[in-house]
Amino acid sequence: MTFSTRRIFAILQKDYKDLSRNLFVSTTLIMPLLMAVLFGRMGIEGIASHYLIINLGFILVGAYVQSSLIAEEKEKNTLRGLMLSPASTLEIFCGKSLLSFIATAVVVAGSIWLSGYNPRNLAVIAIALVLSAVFYVGLGTLIGLFTKSVMEASVVIVPVMFIFSSGSFLTPFIDKYPVLAVVEYMPNLQLLELANRVEAGAGLGDVLLHLLVILAWVLVIHAVAAYVYKKRMVDE
Amino acid sequence: MEAELYRNGSGDEVSVLSIKQLESYTEHSVVFPAFTMEVSRHEAVALHTGMNARAVLLGILTGKLPVAEGEITINGHIYTGRIRQAVPEIAFMLLEEGEYTRLTVKENLRFYSKLYGSSRPVDEVIRMVRLDAKAGVRLSALSHSERKRVQYARLIIQGSQLLVCEEPDQNVDNETKLVFRRLVQQLCGSGKAVLILTGNMETALSTTNRVYRLDEKGLQAFDIQGEEDQTEGLAEAEPNLLDIAEEEAVNEAEQTLRLFRFEKIPTRINDKIILFNPPEVDYVESSDGQTQLSIGGELYPTTFKINELEERLHSYGFFRCHRSYLVNLQKVREVITFTRNSYSLVLDDAAKTSVPLSKTKMAELKEMMGLK
Repeated sequence: MTFSTRRIFAILQKDYKDLSRNLFVSTTLIMPLLMAVLFGRMGIEGIASHYLIINLGFILVGAYVQSSLIAEEKEKNTLRGLMLSPASTLEIFCGKSLLSFIATAVVVAGSIWLSGYNPRNLAVIAIALVLSAVFYVGLGTLIGLFTKSVMEASVVIVPVMFIFSSGSFLTPFIDKYPVLAVVEYMPNLQLLELANRVEAGAGLGDVLLHLLVILAWVLVIHAVAAYVYKKRMVDE
Repeated sequence: MEAELYRNGSGDEVSVLSIKQLESYTEHSVVFPAFTMEVSRHEAVALHTGMNARAVLLGILTGKLPVAEGEITINGHIYTGRIRQAVPEIAFMLLEEGEYTRLTVKENLRFYSKLYGSSRPVDEVIRMVRLDAKAGVRLSALSHSERKRVQYARLIIQGSQLLVCEEPDQNVDNETKLVFRRLVQQLCGSGKAVLILTGNMETALSTTNRVYRLDEKGLQAFDIQGEEDQTEGLAEAEPNLLDIAEEEAVNEAEQTLRLFRFEKIPTRINDKIILFNPPEVDYVESSDGQTQLSIGGELYPTTFKINELEERLHSYGFFRCHRSYLVNLQKVREVITFTRNSYSLVLDDAAKTSVPLSKTKMAELKEMMGLK
């Protein structure tokens, strides 16, 4: 079975049309942009507030759209049809992830522009944001595999949103409870730390460690998603 | 695909699907005992099965269930239960097929066309399934029958050697039935093999001449319409034996009938014997040696053979429209010509039941009605 970009683009195009008519999902795309406009007009201070919006974009678009794309295929019984087609598993997930990735890139770029965030070193921040986007799309795939319908996915996304956007609230407690130091390795906090350093004038070499941690998250989440797919889909 | 799976690399064999000694058991009961069958190119085969056997057989073919006992060969490759290996060769149309309801008919088919790499123009396929007027309509706004036709279109686009259809025309309108029957003929004409799994005898008989029944007793050739071009000696031997037995039974029945004339037909349900007036009966159906009267949509088993009933009911305007059907002509509303060789009689009841009419009987019926 050969890897075919034609099939990936067929799936991408189909999902794009399907998504653009799905009001339930597509309205969530506007949320981060609205927040960005609001925060931008209010005149926000500090990197943390910018990253609150960016993280919201990652979760609502990257993770949520991806999970609902997969959950809907399961709900409507069309994933079986795709699996019985010549498209390989890799092609099916590539097509879907590509759409979520593009949507995430557009929305996050839009919200950065609207909120008036202007990083000192755009190249480094761009690399970090792309890696994070890939991570959140992988997270969405995992949620989509665990849930059976779009409704279920939208319920599961709430605690996920809490964990991955409110991590920064936990940092003050780290001195008190050393166990919480693990939290610092969360991808969102790594991204924030990286952005802070970039603002302080750090180059690519200085933030390499942070990028590697995010890359590790990317690899882990996709490996777990692949494992869960093998485990769940074969039995069903 | 591993090379050892190929029995021979040519792929130009006549037999597309071959099942050898396949059997299935669930816990204490037999789903179907070992059976052997073959579907060749240019050929449509209908399997008349119950829900259980159908689910198991489809489970095996779609890779959900393992091939426990026996062997399945598809296009010369031994099928091991890993569906991905057989994907380009089988196209499935299951009863519960998922569909993208937010996309229009055309968008759906364009997607399938790209997914399967088909070179056939989508518009041509849409015309074939008679959806040209609905090409720009979303699937969620289509009727059940029209959605089914989108599935037929997908089968055409897939262009696989073997097509497996589960209940292809359940609850669909007559136009869709017609589209399906034409489609099967066309696909067979272009060298494909079609396997139809259905619980509806009318569907089976009106789509193809090769009908089998698969149940816990095994695989039986159901009916060979007595057409000249059928040359399957083995399959025909059994019905012939049955005919002789039936004729003897008729002779015996005649002797008893001479004594007095009893016109009602007794049927037996549980311990009760119910008598029906011949004009009440819509049609008589015989399957598996069991004759059943259909009255107002209900089936009542009777102990008479269909040949005996044909003789007894002839004077009431009953007509033997098919080897296994005897229809009350007073109740027939319409004669539908699906293709040159396949016809159905639609009855004048609430459910618009249709009864198959075989080709040879069509001529006889025309003569009776004074049509030429």
